[in-house]
Amino acid sequence: MKTTQDAELRMLDQMAADFAAKELVEAREDHDRYPFLPLFEDVLIKAHEVGFFTLLLPEEAGGVEQGMTALSLILDDICRSDASLGGVIFTTTLAHEMILEAKGGALLPPLASGDHSYQEALIACPSFDNPGETGNLLRAEGKGKKFKLSGSIEYVVLAGLCSRALLPAKVEGDEGYSLFLVDITNPGVNVSEPVFSLGLHACPACDLELSAVEGALVGQQGEGNACFTAAADKMFLAAAAMATGVMKGSFTEAFEYSQQRRQGGWEIINWSEVRMLLASLAIKCKVADMLLSDACRAAETDEAGWSLGARAAAIHIQELACDATTDGIQLLGGNGYMKDYGQEKRFRDAKQIQSLLGLTPIKRLDYIWRIREGENPW
Amino acid sequence: MSAREHMRMKGDGAMGSNGSKALLEREPRFDDMAVSLLAMPRLPKAMVKETKQAIELARRFNDAVVRPYALELDRKKHEDPDFLPWEFVEEANRWGLYTLFMPTLFGGQGVNFPALSYFLEELGSACTGMSNLVGVHYLGVATLCASWNIRLMNKIMRDTGEGEKTGKPCLISLAITEPGAGTDVEEVDLVSKAQLACQAKKVKGGYVVNGRKIFISNGHLSFWHMLVCYEDLKNPQDTVVMLAIKNGMKGFSFGRQERKMGQKGCPASELIFEDCFVPDDLVCIDAEQGKKLKGSPKETHMQIIDYIVAASRAGVGAFGVGVARGAYEEALRFARETEVDGKPLINHEWAQCMLAEMYKNVAVGRLTYEEANYANDLHGMFKVMEWKPIFYYLKYMPKPIMDKVIQPFLNLGVVTWLFRKIYFDWQKDTDYQCASGWGSLAKFAATDIGVKNGQLALEMMGRAGLRHDRGAEKHLRDSKLLQIYEGTNQLNRLNLFKCLIGRDVPGARVFEE
Repeated sequence: MKTTQDAELRMLDQMAADFAAKELVEAREDHDRYPFLPLFEDVLIKAHEVGFFTLLLPEEAGGVEQGMTALSLILDDICRSDASLGGVIFTTTLAHEMILEAKGGALLPPLASGDHSYQEALIACPSFDNPGETGNLLRAEGKGKKFKLSGSIEYVVLAGLCSRALLPAKVEGDEGYSLFLVDITNPGVNVSEPVFSLGLHACPACDLELSAVEGALVGQQGEGNACFTAAADKMFLAAAAMATGVMKGSFTEAFEYSQQRRQGGWEIINWSEVRMLLASLAIKCKVADMLLSDACRAAETDEAGWSLGARAAAIHIQELACDATTDGIQLLGGNGYMKDYGQEKRFRDAKQIQSLLGLTPIKRLDYIWRIREGENPW
Repeated sequence: MSAREHMRMKGDGAMGSNGSKALLEREPRFDDMAVSLLAMPRLPKAMVKETKQAIELARRFNDAVVRPYALELDRKKHEDPDFLPWEFVEEANRWGLYTLFMPTLFGGQGVNFPALSYFLEELGSACTGMSNLVGVHYLGVATLCASWNIRLMNKIMRDTGEGEKTGKPCLISLAITEPGAGTDVEEVDLVSKAQLACQAKKVKGGYVVNGRKIFISNGHLSFWHMLVCYEDLKNPQDTVVMLAIKNGMKGFSFGRQERKMGQKGCPASELIFEDCFVPDDLVCIDAEQGKKLKGSPKETHMQIIDYIVAASRAGVGAFGVGVARGAYEEALRFARETEVDGKPLINHEWAQCMLAEMYKNVAVGRLTYEEANYANDLHGMFKVMEWKPIFYYLKYMPKPIMDKVIQPFLNLGVVTWLFRKIYFDWQKDTDYQCASGWGSLAKFAATDIGVKNGQLALEMMGRAGLRHDRGAEKHLRDSKLLQIYEGTNQLNRLNLFKCLIGRDVPGARVFEE
């Protein structure tokens, strides 16, 4: 991403790249074996220490008060090596953003490292859902700010790692859902074992069952979707940044391998079909990088129509990443399919990232709906 | 003159019979375009009933064994990468799956070989890993058959039959890939440049093998291993040796199992050879035996590889169709059970189109492996066994007569001589081009479809598709390997070019950039 104009961004970029190289690369395979091996808690502690979990939060909430370009840069750098940490950053940032959009900042105590553990900084939420879409909602009863939540909700990301979750629930009679901050260490909450999933193994999700558990209403009753939509506008860029990073990691490993692996008497990069695949991968990376940079710039400058652009960029880049990481494995042949290399994980992670924030086809339909409603696509 | 009159003219027309022949041999050649049309009248009608029965059996086996265990086995392998699914293999052995498609001549149950593809599709739709646990055994069988060493075919396949009776599975694997050479060993034009290390040195009474083979599917679970290696590593194209290795031979051992992304139930093994002596009677074919054949050592080498891959790639195509179908079936189930925006997903037009696309992918993929099998029926490995007189003779010959009267003749050198005459000396270029070309086409078309349907299913299912307990994500992980093994899809595209396109383009060269 373009960072040359801004010294602070360059510094963040370097810091994130160094962090990834030092903390993520070597133990990637072991980190990926969660829940069959321990979670990479040492990495989470260090990530919290450098402020990765509070990047967008205002200073009064202990945050770093950075913008979308900074968040995207960091996710891009991190996800080149291991997108699981990117998933942790993404999910907690989404929860923070929804709370801030709901004017619920008061619910966020200062979370800066030094005063608080990483578990306190994290907030779980169903980050793979657009909550209204498939009815993955709890029931809420009550009034004012205090409600009791019941029912089951699937795939709440980070629920096994932290004590608080931002959960969508529907109050009977309301048309839309509401958001509630819930203490999931409450005895009325049954947290499942981590749901074993395709990718992002070290960013685990759990299914929850709640039985009349107290939840603090975040924002206005029935207005959860507005908060989600506003937060999602920004977080689409974050998802695109994750996909871009994964794709770049895939290209880098394939490019290096192609210059070392010999076949047919010379290094495989000398075969033109291999170069064609590499070129296709490199072009996808470059297009993603340019799209993301421009979409972040538009968001930071509050350019008209930036949110539509962010969604278009994310949908396109996420799809590119799925294709690119498929070729990323192919370029390494049998080795690409094995866990000794990073390509198979990137393939899984790219597909997982594509599902962030809801069903992909619905994201596309929503995009055209917005244009039909009068948003200017250009 | 009407069109029909033009057609009736055939060889009597202005162009003469040579002209008509030339028109039909113009690319794409009629014989390559209409493989199924040409094959069907020649094939025994009983193949239809056998195929139906094979599919029925596969579905019963899926319900009883594969589906209840597929996710558990996959998860177990995540947890313990060294786990070996003996329980499944023993169950498949009890069901008779390892002799089902072996000729009765060699103690098998004699179901026609093309029916194996349908069988593998069925199993693959439930679990591609388990489908491999069955199917890869037949890759070993096909490799053995490609040597046309009838004595060894009889000995080794009868071991599998014996293993079925005793409850001790006797699977056969193919060991060809090496740490420094994957694609190269699948193509004779490349093998001379390969970084090979597994060598068989001729000694008195046999060969001594040293080296390693990797990515050997079912390696740890097999008893016999068809080892493809080379006598002279500087001249591998002319010195290929196929040896039958069995467990327990001195100097042969298993190394590690690979940590794969998917198809986890089927181990990818390392085979280690350290001064492993292989006696002459376990040599399937080598340069010495090849001297009796019409072709050069290199041509014979290519014929062996082509016979194997023309058949096995149709099977990999069937895996691809199976996994594509599995992904489609999960997506369909999700669409039936889920409401999106307050309406059943199955009633959203976009979802219906997506499901139709996935269904089409499955159907088109199936057509490609069927056509590849027809090409093998006409020109490849199956042509003798599916010649009507032989087919019915073997089908209805009482087993005791087969075992007691006919079997001893199989050990006579003359039978091997006859089969090698048919398969090596009498093979025409257009035979291998059609069978191998269609094998490659089926392999890369159907496996690309497998990955595509895996991707589409997860797009439709979103978060639900990511969960291991829903099964869809496993299909995607499983599918990706299919684009790699049995020759990468890039190699298969090049082979198709070589067999069906480049042959008619003067100056066209493959693998010579």
